[in-house]
Amino acid sequence: MAAGVGEKIRRALLGAAAALLCLGLAAGAARALSDDIIRVGVLEEPKSLNLWLANDTWSQRVVDLIYEPLYVHGPKGQELVPWLAAGPPQFDAAQLAYTVKLRPAKWSDGSDLTAQDVVFTGKLIQDFQMPLHSSKWKFIKKVEALDKHTVRYWLQKPKAIFLSRTLLTPIVQKKQWEPIAKSAQGAQKPLQVLLRHKMDKPVGTGPFMLASWKRGVFVYLLRNPHFFGRNQTIAGYPLGPYIKGMILKVFGTADAAVLALRKGEIDYYWNSIQPGYIQQIKDDPEVKLFVNKKSAVYFLGFNLRKAPFNDVNFRRAVATLVSKEFIIQRILQGEAEVMHSLVPPGNEFYYNPQVPRYGDGLDWNQRVQTAYQILKKAGYTWQVPPVNASGEVVKGQGIRLPGGQPLAEFTILTPPADYDPHRAMSGQMIQEWLRAVGIPALSRPMSFGAMVQRIKDQRDFDCFVLGYAKLSLDPGYLRAFFHSAMDRPRGYNMSGYRNPDFDRLADESENAMDPAVRRQLIHKMQAMIMQDLPYVPLYNPLVVEGVRKNRFSGWVPSLGGIGNEWSFCVIKLVK
Amino acid sequence: MRKFILKRLLQVVVILFLILTILFVLFRLAPGDPVSRLVDPNLTPEEADHLIEQMGLKEPIWTQYLMYLKNFASGEFGYSFHYGEPVAKVIWERLPNTVMLFTTAVILAALVGISWGKIAAWKKGRFQDILLTIASLVTHTLFLPWLALLLVWVFAYHMEWFPITGMISDEIWLDPSSGFFGKLVDVAHHMVLPLATLFLIHFGSYLLVMRSSMLETLKEDYILLARAKGLSERAIRNQHAAPNAWLPVVTSVGLSLAFSINGGALTETVFSWPGIGREMVFAVSNNDYPLAQASFLLIAAVVLMANLVVDVLYAYLDPRIRY
Repeated sequence: MAAGVGEKIRRALLGAAAALLCLGLAAGAARALSDDIIRVGVLEEPKSLNLWLANDTWSQRVVDLIYEPLYVHGPKGQELVPWLAAGPPQFDAAQLAYTVKLRPAKWSDGSDLTAQDVVFTGKLIQDFQMPLHSSKWKFIKKVEALDKHTVRYWLQKPKAIFLSRTLLTPIVQKKQWEPIAKSAQGAQKPLQVLLRHKMDKPVGTGPFMLASWKRGVFVYLLRNPHFFGRNQTIAGYPLGPYIKGMILKVFGTADAAVLALRKGEIDYYWNSIQPGYIQQIKDDPEVKLFVNKKSAVYFLGFNLRKAPFNDVNFRRAVATLVSKEFIIQRILQGEAEVMHSLVPPGNEFYYNPQVPRYGDGLDWNQRVQTAYQILKKAGYTWQVPPVNASGEVVKGQGIRLPGGQPLAEFTILTPPADYDPHRAMSGQMIQEWLRAVGIPALSRPMSFGAMVQRIKDQRDFDCFVLGYAKLSLDPGYLRAFFHSAMDRPRGYNMSGYRNPDFDRLADESENAMDPAVRRQLIHKMQAMIMQDLPYVPLYNPLVVEGVRKNRFSGWVPSLGGIGNEWSFCVIKLVK
Repeated sequence: MRKFILKRLLQVVVILFLILTILFVLFRLAPGDPVSRLVDPNLTPEEADHLIEQMGLKEPIWTQYLMYLKNFASGEFGYSFHYGEPVAKVIWERLPNTVMLFTTAVILAALVGISWGKIAAWKKGRFQDILLTIASLVTHTLFLPWLALLLVWVFAYHMEWFPITGMISDEIWLDPSSGFFGKLVDVAHHMVLPLATLFLIHFGSYLLVMRSSMLETLKEDYILLARAKGLSERAIRNQHAAPNAWLPVVTSVGLSLAFSINGGALTETVFSWPGIGREMVFAVSNNDYPLAQASFLLIAAVVLMANLVVDVLYAYLDPRIRY
């Protein structure tokens, strides 16, 4: 009896599996959606579509297609392109005020965009001290609607970031956000209430609007029928969108996303493809690769608050020993560019190529000899010097500081390999190069959160390898990284670099409204930093992205890749 | 029995309270905070502090603890720092996906494992036993992500029998003409590969436990008696030996079912399955305390309850056990 039941269960299971397979295959063959909907692979879903809470990369990518600012960066980089604005901002030097005229545009619910929406957005940011936005609004004395389509900003003092960041703030609809803000203002923690507001139907002026969101699986965006840019040519691009919509499909791993791209389940993978896959994809006739520069920097940082890192000669010797070319060729398989300054070369307007370089073009023996000379001249001694009496490079041992004390072992903190194999491997290579000349370095991978806490909050570290994967085009970050005022808990001057000359330049650059003047100051700041070397810039990874050739064409390459608003506004279905 | 259950329920409550407190302390001791991973020079130190304050993390630790207990009592578990939504909502959106996949996998693996374990024990030392034992040892020790990717590569990418990953197909779920049955089949179709992976990894453990338990049972006198009575081999195996070998297997299956709510972060990640396992990893690595605490607490509660159920089942399966 029991055997009979067991046999029946087994048969039922087998039957169910076979039926499932057949039905599944039949279901998989179905194609119900229109061809001009692009399928985009992403690694995470947005955490929130509440613009003010959406501070992670994946949420920002979606909200950037829904909400729009007055100005945007053109695809070529630095130039500001009027977007919701009708033209360039008009400056009134006497009143320190800017006037911006809006172009006729509509929200995705069909209502008009007005100057009141722009004013409301600014006030909302100021009233709620909105994180990631308030710093670029705190010097705005007043913002006022002069008429339905004209906004005027009064500044307390000149600030360069007004043009490069404040005017790039996404605008929200007053009609949608005013009731939310009012209910939040009565709460004990107003910002908390505002951030917790669930935005099911975000109303924006962007090219797309939310159609549906299956949590953890996909986000479906439809073309906004009221998008102002449709049939207009902006920055030389005739805008659509010509696609009906986008489906952002979530993949748990890059492996699955790359397979989906090659199989044709997605048309574009919105992330840089890992070096290990690039050759296979190059050989795939169905997939086209785009290689673009990125606005990022990965670097080795020192804690200047303690010896020997407070000695610029030591830092220069370390920089000389580090072979950036080796890291790029062997660890990143050539998919990165060497960084000699902290501003990426892709940021052509602000990048200064004339900064001091260390070890550039030298082979290993020359590196050791140069580093040895720098350290020897600064008073460092060895039990066994890395360069012997006959000038040959040997393994150095027992390095001593200029005061005669032995140099104790120190650690180079890196994120773990599962978080970022490139930084973890770079740390190990730097350890080996330093040990070869007798410098007792130890690379130590550590969980990212713990590492950031030790470096940024506790200041308890020796050296570290970190990176900024998405630097803004405005190099205001140089001030954040190295100004003395930022050497405090949660401040970004993690190295503890303090130089009054640099502080003065940084303050001047912050207030310079003339881009040409600001550019000169930023160039000087880069040169000063590379002279003093609180950070050794290492590399800037290239963005390698893949698209299906037979699906959509017209992609717009830009700094950061082809996954940008310009592309999604101009791509067309391949006929 | 009623007294026993009430006593155990009381124990469960006390243990849960202890776990609740330990979880609170552990996450506060973990390095970093929800803002420390936002390495963005545009976020000023003042803004970061303001954000931390809004999350309630600047309150005295006792106030935070009391708020945590209050949130637990209300059943909402507070708000996720990153989703900005009630934690209960985030969990309930994903939990059914996890339960559907992992419970099916455990049941399937247990049914097959127990059935084949019986056969292996019965045919001890013979070809079927050796084959089944080796097969279960090999599959049980395979590295799950490797096996999962291999199955995806062969059956989804090359043979194109299944979708690469995911739980549903946008084609079907966005098509208004798709009916309930169509959607059901779609989910089932997406489930085949993750289910096959979990089945292959897990059936071996049930098989080995059943085999070993059966081998012990087969030495008992009542098996000898059954043979002496002239019962058929199948009757002795299925009606006399197997039921007496179930106890260790029941423990194993019960606990596996309980742990199935935590999902497998690895399985869910490789197959892009929108379950609770992936959320737990996200919550822990991003210091989303309310979400992480609630996820762990849920696992603890279900495991405690599963232990209780297994204990009660013991009494049912073995009349000699009385509480």
